[in-house]
Amino acid sequence: MEKFSYVNATSVEQVTTLLSDSRWGEVMLVAGGTDLLGELKEYIETPKTLINLKTLPGMEGIKVDETTGLTIGALTTVADIAKHPTIRHHYAVVAEAAGSIATPQIRNVGTLGGNLCQRPRCWYYRDEATNCLKKGGDICFAVDGLSKYHAILGGDPVYIVHPSDLAPALIALGASVKIVGPEGEKTMLLEDFFTLPAANPFRENVLQSNEIVVEVQVPPAKPNTKSFYLKAREKGAPDFALASVAAVFEMDGKTCASASIVLGGVAPAPWRSKEAEAALTGKMIDDSVSRQAGADAVKDAQPLNDNAYKVTLTQNLVSRAAMMAAS
Amino acid sequence: MPDKEKKQGTNISRRNFLKGVGTGTVAATVAPSVLIGAEKEADAQTGDAVASATIQLNINGKPYQVEVEARTTLLTVLRDGIDTSGTNIDLTGAKLICDRGECGGCTVMVDGKTVYACMMLAMDAEGKQITTVEGLADGDNLHPVQDAFVQHDALMCGFCTPGFVVSSAALLSENTKPTLEEIKVGLSGNTCRCGTYPFIFDAVKTASKKM
Amino acid sequence: MASWGEASESRLIGKRIPRLSGKDKVTGKAKYTFDINRPGLLYGRILRSEVARANVVDLDLSEAEAMPGVKAVLPLVEVGRQIRYQGQEIAAVAAETDDIAKDAIRRIRVDLEELPFVVTEEDAMAENAPQIRDDWAGNQSEPNVREEGDINAGFEQAAVEVEATYHTPVQTHVCLETHGHVAEWEDDENLTVWASTQGVFGVRNDLAGHFNLPANQVRVITEHMGGGFGSKFGPGVEGRTAANLARATGRPVKLMLTRKAEHLVAGNRPSMTQHVRAGATSDGRIIAYDMKGYGTGGISSGAGFQAPYVYHVPNRRTERRNVAVNVGNQRAMRAPGHPQGAFAMDSLMDELAEKLGMNPLEFRRINDPSEVRQAQYTLGAQEIGWHRRNSVPGSGTAVKKRGIGVGSGQWGGGGGDGTQARVTINADGTVEAVTGTQDIGTGVRTAIAIIVAEELGLNPTDVMVKVGDSGPGLPSGGSGGSQTTASVAPVIKTAAAAAKQKLFERVAPQLEASVEDLRVGNRTIYVVSDRTKTIKWELATGQLGMESISEGGHWDRELRQGGVAGTQFAEVEVDTETGAIRLIKIVAVQDCGLAINRLTTESQINGGVIMGLGQALLEERFMDPQTGRMLNANLEDYKVPGTFEIPEIKSIVFDTHRKVTGVGEPPCIPTLGAIANAVYNAIGVRIRELPITPDKILTALAEKKA
Ligand SMILES: Cc1cc2nc3c(=O)[nH]c(=O)nc-3n(C[C@@H](O)[C@@H](O)[C@H](O)COP(=O)(O)OP(=O)(O)OC[C@H]3O[C@@H](n4cnc5c(N)ncnc54)[C@H](O)[C@@H]3O)c2cc1C
Ligand code: SF4
Ligand code: FES
Ligand code: FES
Repeated sequence: MEKFSYVNATSVEQVTTLLSDSRWGEVMLVAGGTDLLGELKEYIETPKTLINLKTLPGMEGIKVDETTGLTIGALTTVADIAKHPTIRHHYAVVAEAAGSIATPQIRNVGTLGGNLCQRPRCWYYRDEATNCLKKGGDICFAVDGLSKYHAILGGDPVYIVHPSDLAPALIALGASVKIVGPEGEKTMLLEDFFTLPAANPFRENVLQSNEIVVEVQVPPAKPNTKSFYLKAREKGAPDFALASVAAVFEMDGKTCASASIVLGGVAPAPWRSKEAEAALTGKMIDDSVSRQAGADAVKDAQPLNDNAYKVTLTQNLVSRAAMMAAS
Repeated sequence: MPDKEKKQGTNISRRNFLKGVGTGTVAATVAPSVLIGAEKEADAQTGDAVASATIQLNINGKPYQVEVEARTTLLTVLRDGIDTSGTNIDLTGAKLICDRGECGGCTVMVDGKTVYACMMLAMDAEGKQITTVEGLADGDNLHPVQDAFVQHDALMCGFCTPGFVVSSAALLSENTKPTLEEIKVGLSGNTCRCGTYPFIFDAVKTASKKM
Repeated sequence: MASWGEASESRLIGKRIPRLSGKDKVTGKAKYTFDINRPGLLYGRILRSEVARANVVDLDLSEAEAMPGVKAVLPLVEVGRQIRYQGQEIAAVAAETDDIAKDAIRRIRVDLEELPFVVTEEDAMAENAPQIRDDWAGNQSEPNVREEGDINAGFEQAAVEVEATYHTPVQTHVCLETHGHVAEWEDDENLTVWASTQGVFGVRNDLAGHFNLPANQVRVITEHMGGGFGSKFGPGVEGRTAANLARATGRPVKLMLTRKAEHLVAGNRPSMTQHVRAGATSDGRIIAYDMKGYGTGGISSGAGFQAPYVYHVPNRRTERRNVAVNVGNQRAMRAPGHPQGAFAMDSLMDELAEKLGMNPLEFRRINDPSEVRQAQYTLGAQEIGWHRRNSVPGSGTAVKKRGIGVGSGQWGGGGGDGTQARVTINADGTVEAVTGTQDIGTGVRTAIAIIVAEELGLNPTDVMVKVGDSGPGLPSGGSGGSQTTASVAPVIKTAAAAAKQKLFERVAPQLEASVEDLRVGNRTIYVVSDRTKTIKWELATGQLGMESISEGGHWDRELRQGGVAGTQFAEVEVDTETGAIRLIKIVAVQDCGLAINRLTTESQINGGVIMGLGQALLEERFMDPQTGRMLNANLEDYKVPGTFEIPEIKSIVFDTHRKVTGVGEPPCIPTLGAIANAVYNAIGVRIRELPITPDKILTALAEKKA
């Protein structure tokens, strides 16, 4: 890490002011630091100043309310999300996703905000010496290079996969995110928070350089809902998803009243599969319906040299999730 | 959105690099061409930003006062830190193995929860209770986990052992009777290259009987 | 004739005894090289090339030298020289803190003229590949061809033939304590070095040579060591650099490799690709074997592997080449050449057996000349439940499919001469055993205590063992090749016996008995013919007055033996939808000779199996052909086994004789073939490239379907 100075944040206003007064990358935010410190150690980022968000009051914790649903502060740790009784019971997909993240040590300090805003793990990106497109260089090395862990959907022109496990799970539940900037706060669907590289190859979300994420809201759990997070990996832990599926179903017996299917590990942003949802909604879920949903989910997949297996994998995970809903 | 003012990490010609045909002289990738002026102390513009500070740490129940830079990790303080009174803190049980939060060699407890000390800034540990492997035994009386590790030979070279011991102790303090699967989850943030896992699992089971 | 005596007579040898260093290791008190903190310590760092091949045009150290806190900057490459792989050393820094050292290496300027490079075997062997070695045409060594019997005649007799290509990628050692040293000069001519090494005397001699000093003026200490697996012999550039920095600054310097450098320059297991055609007779004998193979050990050679392996093949032709790439060099790694060879051979065995319609175990029985393994097959098959395997591989419609497989291995490990040791009995009853070996995690320290305690009627904890220090001038070889225990144990045993003899001579008159009539009991010496005559240990040693007994030993060949056979059985479950492999159980039947300490021997077997399963399922070095750099020089994308990968491991210590042998390496060999064959048995598709990862399973299953 290069030297930097450190500010313990005292208020959201102070944070957004500090950010507004600086150039991109000069002042950065840190929460648990489990992602950011890796970037600093690799000299991928060399900020002059780090703002410690952990000292911000009121941004940590989980609130459950019958009418408004679930509110999770951006500073809430992944471990607290994973073990929260209500989340485990009514929002299983989120608890399962949280429990699948990294290791106990990282879950104990890594935060929700940091998880959503974490940077790509692409091995070209994480190598200081390689100046790829995402870092302002000319090309995406994954295109002609080693692409086992890269995107099969929505890639062009950069083929990272979004590393977050919480994001697909929360999007599948229709969560929204509250953002505060110099002009005040705004709330948007978490789904709209993430962007594809075609829109901006340098960032993974719409957050402006002077904004911060303060909380995530999840609508109240609907009755007869079943939800799952299926994550395929090579190694038990720590390992990012080769592919993952966050699936939320409203079931009427074996019939799927509505389905929400969001893929992780396969695209530069959490990937909502409207195709798979359509294939399931209103149907009696059986083997062939679930297979169709899987096939539809990867209809548009365009694998690189080394990641065609992800097409099969994703397809199978989607079908599996559907069958789990029916059983 | 402000203009993307990203530094170019290096100024090697990627195109040439790509083809594997180097032409002419280029500055090596090993030397960044832009250096951020990080040496200067607290930035006026950021108000109370600190580049370094003297902090108080409570480690294994003992208070320490140490001067750190903002970038100093907790692990660096434990291992290489010098108390303002001039004594080496010298708690070298926690190891630096991967330096990236991938292995668990640096595991310590902060307020009773395991963390990777290589991925935590020392300044963030101020005001918290830090427990290292050196703080688990009660004098000559080993913690049940430590005793069980010795009896089961849950260690070979021993380099990963302090991390495993701390993770095991933390696991048992939350769950006194873990199943094998729960042990695997609880210790999934630690890595052993010698392959001591089977005996570690046995040791944790034995220790759990004494919790 | 010297012997270890009967098992029934042994009080300690062969029992399960917790290792002596256990308490220090679980409390964090054990000091590794990485933990050594000396007054005035400086921190060293090395700037390394990120480029795979380049000419060094200019090197400017001035900015780094001018930094506050920087005490020395040394060039490690000359302008005009060529960089030949990523990670090659450019310059080194010593500074007041590690962070300053890190800052300083970033302020060293080096101009490199990049040259065309190759980092994969394919690229190296391609037609128009840049030539990276003057002495090899096409980046390949002259083939090493060996022939035995008549392969053409062999193939004529063959009823079935298999032709296949097997591949294992480069694996790195991943020692958790990286290579490193702390160097401190007492004066211009006396150097002390704490080294993370498998050979204190090797490091001593190398450094003494480097600095032109008498060997006894360099002292090398390795109290505890965090893993070597064959990669830690000699100080290397980093060790010499640490000593040079210490000399330049007049202060102690600690220089440990970073994790990244450890992957890049601290050795690796070479890759292997072999194309083999083999035939078997209808009655199940392998009759012909024709293999063309190559591997890369980096920029130099060393990519050997065993082929054919363990089974008897009368007619054979093998052709091996080394391929040079612009990547850091290989070093010995746990059973060099064996796991690769075993994976290919055991896969081939199953492929042949299937063509013959034979049970693969039966096929092995016919072709395996080792009597030990024949017995092990029976034992292992029983333990795993061999009869449960799929008679038709891949049959059934379940999503998760199980399978069982077998693999074999063979190793030497008989030790060698060259260890000196001293066992000392002091008047106060304390006992010391000193030798220049090092405990790299194998438990040799404890083994020494056990041997001495057994010989003298004491407890292992009564024996003060001093190893890992060249200071006493009692050399021992490096700990590699599973040679340590077999090299050291006979010397310790004979030294302890000699010391005991001396003590007997002192107490015999008092007991009014002949020396031959004396024996040790539990902390006593007694007379065999009259058991009422005994003397307590402390009283006996008290007779020594101001003296002590100090005896050396010798390497008695009768006390050790080489040649250990092993076999392993694996049961796996493959999720055919995700390609995930779950290991259910591994049975390792390992010939161990006389296991001095059964507990640490079991640990070694577990450890071997786990390293083997890592190679089978996870580990692979990824080199990027575009940038010439390793893409996974970390512990995130270079995946070593963690808790979730560990199956039930049944380690069976298979004693065939009462002679000491080494088991550090052999148990990592059979694992690969056992797992690969189990996967095949589960899904009916053969994966011929390691590691067997989900992508390969899914791709293979899809191809099968199509
Ligand atoms: C070995 C390893 C394995 C991992 N495995 C997984 C995995 O399997 N799944 C997974 O999802 N993640 C994984 N992670 C990523 C892990 O870092 C995150 O899961 C963690 O939640 C990040 O939280 P943090 O608070 O530590 O983030 P930080 O490191 O503090 O921040 C990450 C980024 O987010 C920004 N940021 C943080 N908080 C805010 C905020 N409130 N508003 C705006 N920006 C913010 C920071 O500026 C920074 O750029 C892994 C990490 C490691 C090192
Ligand atoms: S995937 Fe993205 S981060 Fe990776 S090399 Fe391509 S542009 Fe860079
Ligand atoms: S050294 Fe901290 S997790 Fe590996
Ligand atoms: S005991 Fe050596 S790494 Fe775990």
